[in-house]
Amino acid sequence: MLIAAAVLDDVLRGVLQGVPPGSVYAIIAVGFVLAYKTSGVFNLAFGAQAFVSAALFFHARTAWGWPSWLAFVVSVVVVAPAIGVALERLVFRHLPTDAALAKLVITIGLSVALPSLFELIVGFEPVAGRTPEGLLPGGAEVFYDVAGIYSFSRNELTSMVIAVVAVAGLGALFRFSPLGLQMRATVESPRLTELAGVRSDGVAAFAWALSSLFAGLAGVLIAPRFNTLAAPDFFNLVVVAVTAAALGRLVDLPRALVGGVSLGITISLVQTFLPRVAEHAAWLTPIQENVTSAIPFLALFALVLGSRTLRSGRDHVDPLSGVSPPPPPPAAMSRSPLLTRATLIAGVVFFAVVGLVVFTSADAQWMFLVTQTVILSIVFLSVTVITGFAGQISLCQGAFAAIGGFTVFQLADRFDVNVMAAVFVGAAIAAAVAGLLAVPLVRLGRVWVAIATLAFAAFFDAVVVKLPFVGGGATSLLQGTRVPRPAIGPVDLGDDRHLLAVALVVLGITALAVRRLRDGTTGRMLAAVRASELAGQSIGISATRSGVTAFAISGFVAGLGGGLLSIQQQNVNYATNFSPYAALFWVVVVVSLGVRTVEGASHAAAGFALTDPLLFSGVLLAWMLRSPDSVPDVFPLSPKWRFVMFGLGTIAFAKHPEGLVENGKRTAHRRVEQLLARRRSAPGGAPPSGSNTALARPHPPSAAAEASP
Amino acid sequence: MTALLDASGITKAFAGVRAINEVSVMVDRGERVGLIGPNGAGKTTLFNCILGVIRPDAGRVVLDGNDISSLAVHERARLGIGRTFQRIELFLETTVRDHLLVAERVRQGHGSVWRDLLGRGRPSRDELAATDRMLELLGLVTLADEPIEQLSLGQGRLVEVARALMTRPSLLLLDEPSSGLDGSETTDLAATLRAVQSESGFAMLLVEHDVELVSTFTDRCYVLDFGKLIAAGPTAATLADPHVRAAYFGTTPEAS
Repeated sequence: MLIAAAVLDDVLRGVLQGVPPGSVYAIIAVGFVLAYKTSGVFNLAFGAQAFVSAALFFHARTAWGWPSWLAFVVSVVVVAPAIGVALERLVFRHLPTDAALAKLVITIGLSVALPSLFELIVGFEPVAGRTPEGLLPGGAEVFYDVAGIYSFSRNELTSMVIAVVAVAGLGALFRFSPLGLQMRATVESPRLTELAGVRSDGVAAFAWALSSLFAGLAGVLIAPRFNTLAAPDFFNLVVVAVTAAALGRLVDLPRALVGGVSLGITISLVQTFLPRVAEHAAWLTPIQENVTSAIPFLALFALVLGSRTLRSGRDHVDPLSGVSPPPPPPAAMSRSPLLTRATLIAGVVFFAVVGLVVFTSADAQWMFLVTQTVILSIVFLSVTVITGFAGQISLCQGAFAAIGGFTVFQLADRFDVNVMAAVFVGAAIAAAVAGLLAVPLVRLGRVWVAIATLAFAAFFDAVVVKLPFVGGGATSLLQGTRVPRPAIGPVDLGDDRHLLAVALVVLGITALAVRRLRDGTTGRMLAAVRASELAGQSIGISATRSGVTAFAISGFVAGLGGGLLSIQQQNVNYATNFSPYAALFWVVVVVSLGVRTVEGASHAAAGFALTDPLLFSGVLLAWMLRSPDSVPDVFPLSPKWRFVMFGLGTIAFAKHPEGLVENGKRTAHRRVEQLLARRRSAPGGAPPSGSNTALARPHPPSAAAEASP
Repeated sequence: MTALLDASGITKAFAGVRAINEVSVMVDRGERVGLIGPNGAGKTTLFNCILGVIRPDAGRVVLDGNDISSLAVHERARLGIGRTFQRIELFLETTVRDHLLVAERVRQGHGSVWRDLLGRGRPSRDELAATDRMLELLGLVTLADEPIEQLSLGQGRLVEVARALMTRPSLLLLDEPSSGLDGSETTDLAATLRAVQSESGFAMLLVEHDVELVSTFTDRCYVLDFGKLIAAGPTAATLADPHVRAAYFGTTPEAS
């Protein structure tokens, strides 16, 4: 009896403890669902928006000395909705309704760009260990006892009260005001709503403002739970939000609300009871220590695997979507063989020249940067395979690469295995993990693949890395995850030149392999399924099998690059190189520069590794001006501009899915051909013929355009 | 001899409403069969059940004597069911020839990653010859290397047919091929299909709204209404049936 009463007491305490974070999760989930419902945008930048409000609030309080209420009004009531409206007006309104993948890519870009942009404008720097304060003074110190079971802090109480007010307000808005009704109607069909005389544009903007208000609110409320105010923590909130929202199948507001609260309670209960079980099962310890990240992942996976409706459920389709104009054909639709040959030659020449210069006269720092670019090119080829060829957004490429890095570390450290052999073992393990992960995922829609891979990345980050046989456990705290650079036969990896040569050879072989896959059966099948899963299946392609294959190949390539990167840096450096937020930026860079081509990965790697030391530092400008003194004072620019630049670059994805650099090349190529054609058709010249006619002829209406019923 | 396709007792309910109720359809080798009915009669549902896109609540689908009821869409496709789509589904960002090449590859079962890595993934001469033959058969030769986005709807339908035929189906399911085409384009398509069929001898099951196309193109037809089979038999006779006219054209048997 006594034991039962004690357990009951613990359960009650766990529940009460879970309600405050749960109510913040509910706010996040509701805000997230609101944006998704009204605009079909799966807003992965939601966490970034929450961060901006939280950081602005914090900065206004501490740096500018504003009173709490003013800081709250400005950061949550004014700035947050303003960002939402701006995003809707400037970006999302202009996208076609069915561009789900483009919307997803853009929000990923925004989640990288927004925090950096904010930090640059306001001059905010995250300070480690400075816990943000809550809305009310003494939020973390003043406690209110509830029936002797659990004491709520003032912050927790504030969260709960605000959550209730916010949700009740939203409920009242939906029930009693015409706006609520219009919003519900807009959700069903923007066009039908317009036919009824309501401006659905205005309604959408309002919904975005409201959703962003919720983001800001959640940000300010959740901030005191972090010990440092930094964007990556807020990004992880998206996993929590999505899981709660997924409980309501992404469209059901009340269920999302319940999902958020129950998620908070579940986490709290597991935190209460798991330690007791973990005493007897050591493998549970890492999970126990990082429950907040582990639970959403496990819940999301259970949902994905268990719920038939979720798996078979298709996106909501506007009954009048057929009347919307068809998507514009890609600006440069096909790549001419001439362009392929030209870029290949230019690439080889460029690499030869750069290689020669680097091998003969580069100092250690430049050697490092160039080698890093080469290795990152390999890593980024994994994004080319999965996103460019298979059309899936994978947000856990960092985890696959980290598996490569950790394998090299473990094998070299424990078993003294040759590091180059370990790289391939690591790549094979990463391929196996990726393939296994893909089996339940690829049958889902693309949005779900993105979310599930994000959840996996968060799980890997929070739990798997902490396992002793992966991240080294306690010993790695003392000596890090060191990787040796030994001499293997004639190759001395300790010599930077030798390492660069090895990296170049691996890149060359990988690039050739990826090219062959793209031009071979694998690539053709992936292209088919990417364009139309149903049509692919109708000629006998197994969408599951080709999806799993793509993931496994991508995992292998990522693991390969990750292993090499850890050799180069003589350390896995997990947090800097492979954390989910860092790897998010990989996808952003590759997608915005060129995700369809093999050399696109190299462009992206160069952009990733060299923009800062070359462009932003002013080095390139100084070299061009031939005098370091005449470089304007704005240099060196903050490295954060890199995040802003590439993050906003993803917006172009909607129009140029082949990437900015690739699009530029194709456009230039077309211009040259047009110019040549004109010259040839001039008096005395031959009329344009053959391949030129396709360019000169006005485009007939496309098949896709007429196919709309 | 057993029928090529024998779908029997197919029943499917959505949220309690029976979209199709105990419908049975048979197609013999080399036959042209029509499936007609007013909107909402359950034509598409039946079609999807035969293809495996939807799993029926009850009933069996037998192809060539093999029960394929539990197979996935792509497995059925490999066993010889080809199809086209009402709202055409093409592989964007590829050329017309690419459509046929990938179908040919899948048919041969050459899906190995290792083959690609060893550089044997590029189209062989035989494969190119096979695609050339198909392009010629359907009059698509001049469009072979066009990006698919440049095609008109009628041309797109032909590409769909060509792609389906590359898998050498024994049964081709055509989902409202005339939708979006004008009268002459429809006639052309029908003529092409007939010509190709006389060479390869596959059977066709045609879901269609266009009664004229059905009456001139098919040998037999089935008529669905409210999820039930209301008539079946030789096309001309079936279309003349007063019940069919009532369901389809809204004229009651008494009135006519």
